[in-house]
Amino acid sequence: MTTTNAVVSVAGLEKTYGKANERQYQALKDINFQVAKGEFVGIMGASGSGKTTLLNMLSTLDTPTKGDVIVNGHDVTKMRGNQLADFRAEEVGFIFQDFNLLESLTAEENIGLPLALKGTSSRVMDQAIHEVAETLSIADLLQKYPAELSGGQKQRVAAARAIVHHPSILMGDEPTGALDSTSARELLDLLTTINQKQAMSVLLVTHDPFSASFCQRILFIKDGQIGSELRRENQDRSAFYQEILNELGTFNE
Amino acid sequence: MLGKLALAGIKNRRRDYLVLLAGLTMSAAIFYMFANLATNTAFIKANAVTSSASLIFGFGAVLLILITIVYIMYANSFLLSMRRHDYGLFMMLGAKRKRIGELVFLETLILGTVATVIGIVLGLLMSKFLVGFLLDNLGLHLAHLVAFYVPAIIATAVLYVGLFILASLFNLVHLTRTTVLKLLHSDEQANQTQVKPFRQAVAGVLGLILLGIGYWALAAIKVLQTAAIPLALVTITLGTYLLFRATVLMFIRSLRKTAWAKKHLNSFLLGQLNFRVHNYTRMLTIVSLLFAMALGAITVGSGYHRQLPMMAGNFGAYTIAVHDKTAQEQRLIDRLDIRHQATYTQKRQGKMVYYNAAELAKEPFEQLKMTTGDNVKTSYVTESIKKFQKTGPTDIDFLGLATTSQRMLTPKIVSASQFAKQSGKTTTVTTVRVKDLQRDTPTIKKLAKLERQRFSQPAEMTIGSYQSYEMMTGFFGGLEFMGYFLGIAFLAMLASCLMFKILSGAPGDQRRYRMLYKMGVRYQLMRSGIAKEIGILFLIPGIMGIIDVLFGLQMFKPLMQSPMSPYLGIGSTFAIFLGLYAIYYLITLVLYWRIVLPKGAVK
Ligand SMILES: Nc1ncnc2c1ncn2[C@@H]1O[C@H](COP(=O)(O)OP(=O)(O)O)[C@@H](O)[C@H]1O
Ligand SMILES: [Mg+2]
Repeated sequence: MTTTNAVVSVAGLEKTYGKANERQYQALKDINFQVAKGEFVGIMGASGSGKTTLLNMLSTLDTPTKGDVIVNGHDVTKMRGNQLADFRAEEVGFIFQDFNLLESLTAEENIGLPLALKGTSSRVMDQAIHEVAETLSIADLLQKYPAELSGGQKQRVAAARAIVHHPSILMGDEPTGALDSTSARELLDLLTTINQKQAMSVLLVTHDPFSASFCQRILFIKDGQIGSELRRENQDRSAFYQEILNELGTFNE
Repeated sequence: MLGKLALAGIKNRRRDYLVLLAGLTMSAAIFYMFANLATNTAFIKANAVTSSASLIFGFGAVLLILITIVYIMYANSFLLSMRRHDYGLFMMLGAKRKRIGELVFLETLILGTVATVIGIVLGLLMSKFLVGFLLDNLGLHLAHLVAFYVPAIIATAVLYVGLFILASLFNLVHLTRTTVLKLLHSDEQANQTQVKPFRQAVAGVLGLILLGIGYWALAAIKVLQTAAIPLALVTITLGTYLLFRATVLMFIRSLRKTAWAKKHLNSFLLGQLNFRVHNYTRMLTIVSLLFAMALGAITVGSGYHRQLPMMAGNFGAYTIAVHDKTAQEQRLIDRLDIRHQATYTQKRQGKMVYYNAAELAKEPFEQLKMTTGDNVKTSYVTESIKKFQKTGPTDIDFLGLATTSQRMLTPKIVSASQFAKQSGKTTTVTTVRVKDLQRDTPTIKKLAKLERQRFSQPAEMTIGSYQSYEMMTGFFGGLEFMGYFLGIAFLAMLASCLMFKILSGAPGDQRRYRMLYKMGVRYQLMRSGIAKEIGILFLIPGIMGIIDVLFGLQMFKPLMQSPMSPYLGIGSTFAIFLGLYAIYYLITLVLYWRIVLPKGAVK
C-alpha cells in the first residue's frame, strides 16, 4: 500500500496515561498502520486492549505521547485549539456506542448540526439532510426527538449525522454495542452500503467478531499493540466470520 | 440497611445537598433578621413615630413569608428530584413503601431542622454585623435593635420547622403514591409536550388579562386598601406564568423554523431553551416576581432616602435658625453651601418678641409658598415690609424664630426708633437655607447639637426644615431600611433559586457539551453558546420583573406624595440593581463554564 492513497496513516504511535510523577500506564505501544481511501477497516481487541484510546488519538480527542498520525494529509499531532475542532468537524464522522444524540434537538436538527457548524445555507442543508435520510431510510423519523426513537433508529440517525458533511473518514467506536442483534445487523449493512456507494473510508472498532466480519481488513490489537492482520479478500461474510473466530482462538491463547 | 443505603445516596450527591442546605440556611437567616426587626416592638416604637410603621413591617413580613413558602416548595422539589430515582430503585428491590415513606419523611425533616438551626445562628451573627453596616451606610440611627431577640427566634423556628413538616408529609405522600416505574424514569421523561396552539393562545390572553388586573389593583391601592396586595400577588403570579407558558415557548418554536436557526449552534441553543423554558416556566415566574420585589423594594427604599431632603424642604422657609451664634457656630455656617442667609435682632419681652422693621426691609424674611393640588411646587418669596408687617406674624416659620417651652412668642415688627427704645432681652437669630440638605446634613447636625446644648429649651430653639428632616428620617427610617433589607433578601433568594435549577441541570449539559466537543465545535463557540443560553434565562425574568416594578410602584404613590414620587430617579437605582444582577449572571456563567465545558477543549 502506498502512502499517497492512504486516508489514515499511523507511525510509531505511543500513548502513556498519567503524568511523569504519577502512576503511569502505557495504553498504546508503537502502533503502525494505514487505511486506504475507500477501505473498510476493523480494529478488534478485547476490552481494555486500547481500542478507544487509539480512536481518540486518530480523532484528536486526545493527544499521543509519541508518533505521527496523518489523516487525509493533515498531521493531526501538530494541530492546536481551533484547528483541532475544525479538523473534527470537517474530516471525521463519528458514531458512538451510546449514540451521542442531543435529546433537545429533533433527528433533523441533530443531523444538520455538522453542516450548521460549517455555516452551510439552509437550502443546501435541507437537501443534504434529505439525501442522507433517504440513504439510511430514516426520512419518516426526521421530526422526532431521540426519546421517541428505538436504539436502532437512534444509531441510524447518528450515522446520518456522521456522514452528512462528507467527512474523509467515518469512525465508529463499538457502534453496535448497545443494539439488539437485528438492529446491529441493519446498522452494519448500512455501514457497508455507505462504504461502497459513497466510497467512504470506514474505521470500525469492536470486540465483537460478528461486527468485525463486515470489514475488508481487520487489525487485531492486544495490550496496546497490533498483533496480526486478516484480509477478507473474496470470501463471503460467514467464511470470514469463521476465520476471525479461528484467529481469535490463536490470538488470545 | 435501607437507612445506610439512603445515606450512601446522599453522600454521592454531597455537592447538591450542600447547595440545598446552604440555600435553606441563608433563607432562614434572612428571615430571622427580618423577624428580628418586625417583631421587635421596642425597636419599632423607638424609631417610627406612627403606627403605620408596624403595618409596613407587617406587610413586609407577609411578603417574606410568602416568598419563603414558595422558596421551600421549590427547594423541596429539588430534593425530591434528587431522591426519586434512588427510592424507586429501593422499592423495585423490594423495600416496603411504608419504610421508604419513613425515610423520606425523616430525611426532609432532618435537613430542614438542621438548616433552620444553622440559619438562626447565622441570622444572629448577620444581624450583628450586616445590620450595623447597613445602618451606618444609610446614616440611620435605629435604637433598641439587638441581635438576639427571643420572639424572632421562635417565629423563625415555628415557620421553618412547620413548613418542613408540611414538605415532609408532601414527600411521603408523593413517594408512596407514585408507581415504581415512574420514579425510576423520572429524569428520562420526554420533555417535549404537545403544543396546542388554541390552548396556548387562550392561556396567553388570560395571562395578559390577569396581569392587567394585577397592575390595576396596585394602582388602585387607595380604593382597594389592603385587599390590593393579595389580589395583585395572585393575579400577577398566575398571569406571568400563563404568559410565559404561552409566548416564550411559541416564540422559541417559531424561531426554530427559520433559516437563522440553522446557523452554527443556534439550533442547539434554541433546542436547549425550548427544553429548559418549558421546565423552567414555574421557576422563571417565581424569579421574575422575586426580581420585581427586590428591585421594587430597593427602588422605594432609595427613593425615600434620596427624596427625604427634598420633602423636608417643603416644611420650612429656612433649613436651620441659630440664635446668638458663637464663633464655633459661625465656622460651621461658613462650611455650608448657602442659598439664603439673614440675621435679625430680637427683643423678647413677656409673651412678645419685637423685630426691627428697618432690618427686615433691608433683609426681607423669605416665606415658603406652595401651590396646591396634585403637583405641588414650592418657591421662596419675599414681601415688602409693609405687607410683611401684616402677614409675618401669622407665618409659622417666622413665629418659629422665637419660642419658649410654653409658647411661641407673638412677633411685632416696629420701626427702628421704636425698636431702639423697646426694652427686653436682646438676641440675634440667623436663618440659613442651604442648597442641598443632604450634602450639608453632617454640618447642620453639628449646629443643631450645639443649639441644643446652649439653650435650655433645645427642641424649640432649633426650628427649620432640618428639624422636619430629622423627624421624617425617623418616620420613614423603618420603611427605607426595610426597602433595602427586603431588596437584598429577595436578591439573595433569587440568586439561590436560579442556582438550584442551574446546578441541577449541569450534569445533563456536561454530557451535551462533551458531544459537541467531539463533533468539532470550537471552544469559543461553546462558551458563547452557554453565555447566550444562561443570559436568556436571566433576561426573561429580568424583563418581566422590570415591567412588574414599573407598574407596582403605583402602589407607593399614596405614600410618597408630591413632590416625592416613587418614579423619581429610578434610573440610577435600576442601573445599580441591574449591575448586581449582571454580576450574579457572570458568576453563574463562570461556574457553569467550569462545570460544563469539556476539559480537553481548553484553547
Ligand atoms: N484516561 C485514562 N487514564 C488512565 N488510563 C486509561 C485512561 N483511559 C483508558 N485507560 C486505560 O487504557 C487501557 C485501554 O483502554 P481503552 O482504550 O478504553 O480500551 P478498550 O476501548 O479497548 O476497551 C485500559 O487499561 C484503561 O484502563
Ligand atoms: Mg472502548
